[in-house]
Amino acid sequence: MTTKPKLRVGSHLLPGLAAVALFVVIAVAVLRASFGDPQGFPSDGSITASIGYAMFNLDMGAVPGEGFLVAFIVIAIALDAALDGSILLAKREEEGSAVALLADGGRQVHERLTDGTESDSDADDDGGDH
Amino acid sequence: MVPVQWYLLLATAVFCIGLFGILTRKNALLFLMSVELMLNAANINLVAFSAYWGNITGQTFSLFTMALAAAEVAVGIGIILVLYRNFDDVDVTLAKGMRW
Repeated sequence: MTTKPKLRVGSHLLPGLAAVALFVVIAVAVLRASFGDPQGFPSDGSITASIGYAMFNLDMGAVPGEGFLVAFIVIAIALDAALDGSILLAKREEEGSAVALLADGGRQVHERLTDGTESDSDADDDGGDH
Repeated sequence: MVPVQWYLLLATAVFCIGLFGILTRKNALLFLMSVELMLNAANINLVAFSAYWGNITGQTFSLFTMALAAAEVAVGIGIILVLYRNFDDVDVTLAKGMRW
């Protein structure tokens, strides 16, 4: 006999309903709002090139925009910091010394999956001369 | 030109899908994906109004937002790795204290 899934009604549905309600509220607000006349990009001049100029504060682009050189430097430092932070978090500390994640080539995971029975014979096979 | 209201409606939908995911899920990876959805909803708004007003600032800023999202994911996945190592699970409701 097949069973069909049932919707359990209760207070645990409230967070999901809150998200849907927020969508309804914003959608009504957006659809009722009026915006000015659209300007649009100028037909001549490259948008991509203008983005490139705006990134380095060069006032040569065909499309108007602000300079982003400081934001460019700040984001470079933030990416550097994030890279260092992620490496620090992913490091594994074992017996006082820091060991990189899976630096053993996944041997530990393999031993755990095979209960250490095959790992010895595998190591012998790999180590032999062919 | 597509009216800007439709872009805003799309961004609202994407944002609320992300919010829904954060409020209803327990998996840390799904949390990360939901945060990405919310960030990208903001990007849709930036690009839509950039095209609307004929100004390049919104599009340039959305590029920086994307770079920031990449940094956030790098740190987020590092945190998820630590979470898995300490709890053998990626359920965000398991980690209740600042120390264990």
